[in-house]
Amino acid sequence: MKFKCIINGCLSHTRAQAEELNGFISRFLDPEASDGTTIIFYSQKDERKALPGLVPTQRAELVRIDRYHPESILDALARIEYSDDADLYLFPSGFAGSEIAVRWAFRQKGSSLVQVKHIDCTRDRVIAKKTAYVDHVLATFRLDRRPFCLSPARGCVDRLPIRARDNLVVTEHDFTGLNKGIRAHDFHWIPVEHAKHFENPRFLIVGGRGLQNKENVQFLKNMADAVGAEFGISRAVALNAWGPMHRLIGVSGTIAKPEICIAAGVSGAAAFYAGIEKSKFIIAINTDPLARIIKSSDVVVIDDYKTVMAELLKFFTFDGANEA
Amino acid sequence: MRILVCFKAAPDVEMLIDEDWAVDKKLKIDTSFVKNTLNTYDESALEIALNLRDASEALGTNVELSTLTVDGGGATAILKTLYALRFTKAVRIEPQEDLRFRPAATAAIICQYVLHHSPQDAVLLGRQSDIGENAKTSLLVAEMLGWPCISQATHIELADENHLMVTHQVDDGHIRQRIRTPCVFSVGDAPCTSLRVPTLRDRMQYGKKAVDVLSVEDFQLPVETETLTGLEILRHARAGVIIEGKNPAEKARVLYEEHLKPMLSQK
Repeated sequence: MKFKCIINGCLSHTRAQAEELNGFISRFLDPEASDGTTIIFYSQKDERKALPGLVPTQRAELVRIDRYHPESILDALARIEYSDDADLYLFPSGFAGSEIAVRWAFRQKGSSLVQVKHIDCTRDRVIAKKTAYVDHVLATFRLDRRPFCLSPARGCVDRLPIRARDNLVVTEHDFTGLNKGIRAHDFHWIPVEHAKHFENPRFLIVGGRGLQNKENVQFLKNMADAVGAEFGISRAVALNAWGPMHRLIGVSGTIAKPEICIAAGVSGAAAFYAGIEKSKFIIAINTDPLARIIKSSDVVVIDDYKTVMAELLKFFTFDGANEA
Repeated sequence: MRILVCFKAAPDVEMLIDEDWAVDKKLKIDTSFVKNTLNTYDESALEIALNLRDASEALGTNVELSTLTVDGGGATAILKTLYALRFTKAVRIEPQEDLRFRPAATAAIICQYVLHHSPQDAVLLGRQSDIGENAKTSLLVAEMLGWPCISQATHIELADENHLMVTHQVDDGHIRQRIRTPCVFSVGDAPCTSLRVPTLRDRMQYGKKAVDVLSVEDFQLPVETETLTGLEILRHARAGVIIEGKNPAEKARVLYEEHLKPMLSQK
């Protein structure tokens, strides 16, 4: 099987994309029967030097474009790949990866699936699994038309560090100035705090809709800071602007893998639960004994989260003072 | 500026209890007894469009809103609400097939509606529906129309009659840019965009207009390149041991001493 990994190096998490795809290849593709190339798009000249160290395959194509824009990547891909016959294109799990996977498949008259959790593939067809019904169901699809364009679900594989290759074959392209036709003007890039630190915290505290307002979200955040835990929020909290979007836990945010997770005021909707289900130990604090999170937790405190957290803090403070 | 907002009403599956989750031979799950709702992405798309119309009134430009859904009738109440919110036109396209996992078919219907029935300057859609979770329809609409697509849009403002100022989420940040129409906008996690509630007066005055219903036979559907072959219910059960105690302080003590302290003291 001939496959290509497509990485968007114009943004700041190139290594994370490369390691995610490396993990995906390692888990699902047969190295004996696979022939891979990685195409990395980048825009800053000074980033070029580090790119060969981010290639999970034997060959690399490094493509310079003006800046990240899906049209720039799609148009450049069309020029690089016009005579190619790749069977499979792998894109990272982020927004860019899933968008370009779908649009590239359409342009190539192939088939696509995003948020993929598992694949079983041959050269002629791919069987892939992804969630549906707001993460309550695992759906299986048969993809029949090559090229198959896939983007994994966030957190579906562990990142695998890239091994340095002495014999890496690198081809270079420069497509700066290619997309004169893009209709964007007054372009501004607004970076946000990176949520990388969420993924493997030892201790995570997450607040849900039950927190009810911004002040209570700040209260829980202060509690998390005081006990040395990372802090996350559910989608309901983020959409009500009670907490910042970059702290979002769940399908559209961070998939966290802490050793301990306290879920306070969280109903346990499946799309949220996907963000904490890899926790080793889940503690729910909720006043509703029928909330979905109760059955999905290891231990449960049925009570008001504010009072319980305030009491918990006393134990942390007492032990901390004694250790000091 | 003519703006079309497409949405899909879906059963609120969070209302289902464990015993309700069962897959039949046709790979369907019975959700007929659960109320249909808008998912948050579609709700945001509709509210963003209403905000654009509000702004146009202040700026003295004209924004005309219409809405479309491909649905068997479960969306009628929502369409009436949208009329009450003074959408100019509400259209329902009656499907005759199961389109849960056929984003290309849904996209083709929207594309042909825009090309042959009602020309538009902008099409807004939520990024994915709750049932199929395909996350493809908006992208395919853009590809089929040959229009640019702004995905993960979180805020859209009217710049002038031919341009919109859009903020959209990308991996690691946001991009804010002025974009010339026509364009497709796939709406993502947009804070503070819950759909407004129409007044009773507007419901009485505008909400009783008949919904335009078109047959899917008027549209050509593509052959899907991905076929659903199985559905498997996911269960997330853990022990769910309830910590007993006379009061919150006692429960907190048990939680700390029996669980948190031993785990956190492990190196």
